[in-house]
Amino acid sequence: MEWWQNFLPLNYERVGVWASVICTFAIYSILYRENPFYRFFEHLFIGLGAGYSLGPVLTEALYRCWYLPLWKEGYWAWAPVVPFGLYLYFIYSERYGWMSRLVIGLLIGANAGLFFQEFASRQLPQLNSTLSKPLWITSENFDITDGQVLKWVPLVLNNWIFIIFLLAVLTYFTFSFEHRGPVKRVATVGRWFLMIGLGAMFGNTVMARMALLIGRIHYLLSNWLGIPVGGG
Amino acid sequence: MMEQQTIWHRLLMIDRRILYLILFVNIIIFLLIPVKVPTVTSPPVRKFYDTIEQLQPGDIVMVSSNWSAGTIGENRPQLEAVIRHLMRKKVRFTVISFDPQARDISFRFISRVTQEGGYQYGKDWAHFGFLPALVAGIKGMVKDIPATIKQDIKGTPIAQLPVMQGVKTLADYKMVIDITPAGTVAAWIAYRPKDLIVLFCPTSVMAAEAYTFLDSGQVAGMLTGAIGAQEYEQLLQQEGLGTPFAKAISFSHALIILFIILGNIALFMSRRAQGG
Repeated sequence: MEWWQNFLPLNYERVGVWASVICTFAIYSILYRENPFYRFFEHLFIGLGAGYSLGPVLTEALYRCWYLPLWKEGYWAWAPVVPFGLYLYFIYSERYGWMSRLVIGLLIGANAGLFFQEFASRQLPQLNSTLSKPLWITSENFDITDGQVLKWVPLVLNNWIFIIFLLAVLTYFTFSFEHRGPVKRVATVGRWFLMIGLGAMFGNTVMARMALLIGRIHYLLSNWLGIPVGGG
Repeated sequence: MMEQQTIWHRLLMIDRRILYLILFVNIIIFLLIPVKVPTVTSPPVRKFYDTIEQLQPGDIVMVSSNWSAGTIGENRPQLEAVIRHLMRKKVRFTVISFDPQARDISFRFISRVTQEGGYQYGKDWAHFGFLPALVAGIKGMVKDIPATIKQDIKGTPIAQLPVMQGVKTLADYKMVIDITPAGTVAAWIAYRPKDLIVLFCPTSVMAAEAYTFLDSGQVAGMLTGAIGAQEYEQLLQQEGLGTPFAKAISFSHALIILFIILGNIALFMSRRAQGG
């Protein structure tokens, strides 16, 4: 009797759970076949997502980052920012379309400027790491004072694999001249190495999709049916 | 001969919906039954754990939670395991979201986990809410957090929060933990203060690309999806959602591999029976 009371939608919380269960079944009904029930809930989901995101944008972007500094802290220099941003909507006007390009130009310029910093902070450490990989077991590269040279072999082997893969893939992406002879063979090997990488990414994608399904089934079991799963 | 051909043919003609049903049942079974699946802790997870272990009580950490309902199966086990570890180390933490939906979902789950651990909002942790611009937000916090964030999710001015005592900029933080299904970690790496350690909890889809960051040391440790969360829970010796999720994933993969093998055998045998 108590289970039924907790299960049925007799309070606001349970109504919310039942609503999400109906949404879940509606979305997964596509696995059976195409149906209007699925289509309705698909559109509902997209609309809710867009509408939901609008709330935080109004309260936390416009209110917190624009309204508060402007009206509460007296930063009047912020006043033209939002009207200027709204120029973007002139893109729909043939006559005033050029005004939207002002905003687009500003955004492109700002992002291009930021990219310089991002490139330096993001790519240069990777280049440095690649170029400084030790490929030989020497006293300069590793601490071999204890005489245990063999323990460094896996690391050096790993570095060799890294460098070989890198050079082969870079060769594949060299388009300045025609791939012939040994270069062609190295480029082919590089393509195979790329396939291995893409295969790993695809395997991870399958795992991710499975985890999403499991997350949903976990919700049905624990939140809807009240069956405890795991320690979460 | 005819009977064998019929069997392979029937195997090939199985409706895909039956396979979906078998997969659903398989997941439910392995979510519910208490089977232990032995796992090995991968080096990125070990590094992640060791990095958090180095924190001292009172240190402050930024949790960048940018996931929403779409990736709850992977990011929720990660978030909950990480928060439990931070509480165990008695470190302060603040949360920020660069995704509007992530704001409420992370606040809800962290509130629940912190209540279990006796963490007090405002004193031990705080949620900065949703910040619309990722790069501008990070760059702003590098200079001045109260001026950039202004108020927390409950409307309290940041500077008045006890958890923010002695904290003015991102340089005062020990590390940032990015839990995300999007490319936010690249911005953290690029625009963070130089000494701020970055830990990364991506969805499985993104993990392969992140190994370059791990290799170069730009990311100190990584939890890959629910499997990473499970390995982490084993190190914490505290079972959360990662353990049952990873178990169900493992057996689902085994089932899919079985389907692929059976399908290929059936195709091969049916072609052979037809003389193809």
